[in-house]
Amino acid sequence: MQTLYFALALFLLLNLFAGMWRILKGPTAADRMLAAQLFGTTSVGVLLLLAQASANTVLHDVALVFSLLAALTSVAFVRRAWLSKE
Amino acid sequence: MEALALLQDVFDILLGFGLLWLAWLALFSLDLFRSIVSFISFGLLMAIIWVRLDAPDVALAEAAIGAGLTGALFLAAFAKLQPASVNGKGSSINPQKQSSRKQLLRWLPALIMLWIASGLTIAILALPPHATGLTSEVTSNLTASGVSNPVTAVLLNFRGYDTLLEIVVLLLALLAVWSIGSSVPSIESEPGPVLDTLSRLLVPILIMVSAYLLWVGAHAPGGAFQAGAVLGAAGVLLVLSGWKLYPGLEGFPLRLVLTAGSITFVVIAILTMLVSGTFMQFPPAQASILILILEMVATLSIGVTLAALFIGSPPTDIKKL
Repeated sequence: MQTLYFALALFLLLNLFAGMWRILKGPTAADRMLAAQLFGTTSVGVLLLLAQASANTVLHDVALVFSLLAALTSVAFVRRAWLSKE
Repeated sequence: MEALALLQDVFDILLGFGLLWLAWLALFSLDLFRSIVSFISFGLLMAIIWVRLDAPDVALAEAAIGAGLTGALFLAAFAKLQPASVNGKGSSINPQKQSSRKQLLRWLPALIMLWIASGLTIAILALPPHATGLTSEVTSNLTASGVSNPVTAVLLNFRGYDTLLEIVVLLLALLAVWSIGSSVPSIESEPGPVLDTLSRLLVPILIMVSAYLLWVGAHAPGGAFQAGAVLGAAGVLLVLSGWKLYPGLEGFPLRLVLTAGSITFVVIAILTMLVSGTFMQFPPAQASILILILEMVATLSIGVTLAALFIGSPPTDIKKL
């Protein structure tokens, strides 16, 4: 079972690398910001898989904080950085 | 079993390379916004790496402060930089003189970094190959600390002054931001129904999670800084949805909350000195309740300080503009 969890986590990590390409290429600020959001969501998935694999429930808390604060950066982006760019 | 080890190795190696690549992007991008996004993603990957290194406490702090709040702070700073950078391009007089001064200013940090790097190298080379660390010492004294999470025991009891100084550093940062002042009044549009609903849903949850992290810190990863960061996030979200502090609370009450963490810390430290004779030595019987009081007040101060850092100027100033 652990092998499966790690295989899935690895797959999600590869997804993150696809996101990195989007950060590099852009082209607009919103594309880059959405890539960062993808990072946040995927990291939650990776953390939950790692939590199952290592039976470490503390990682659930880390995933919780991740998911709560991911919304914050996107709101800050939309309310501050995006409007000033247009 | 072999497949698992291989998978773990590939996972860790990819994580490491990804982190380096994002660090490179964050440092050497010409596009400032790309640097910020890279930095936010860097924080997320870093938190996963802390988890892989079996340090969930650090991962929690990194997730709350590194990935969440710092990202929001950077985005707000980026927004404030926008008009200034447009003006800067047009009005840069004397590029020659500036560049020579800039050259000098570039070498100075490089020299300081070199000095720090060589010091660190010497320190690492001087380490004994097999260090036992202080783990056994901490575990043997854990019962006297008042908490069962060794990290909280070290941060709030054994080395409490570290935490005190960290809170003071945050306060100093806010003082610096306030004294620089920002003359750019942020033009706020009305928050739409989506943001309205989001903040109504999310702020209570953030406050609850903050309290949870504070409470759980006594026996598991969590604690004042993580809780404070989540509370600060709630504050930032409120500010972003157009919430304003009641005018009566902007002056002294706000400053009192901002400094409450450091004040309580110092008062308790002095009281314990009067009782037990040593600065900040908690009596084991009362250590638990003292740490809880300290952490509660510190969480509040840290949260409000972080939210105030996000606003960037004292609330009384915004009114004057």
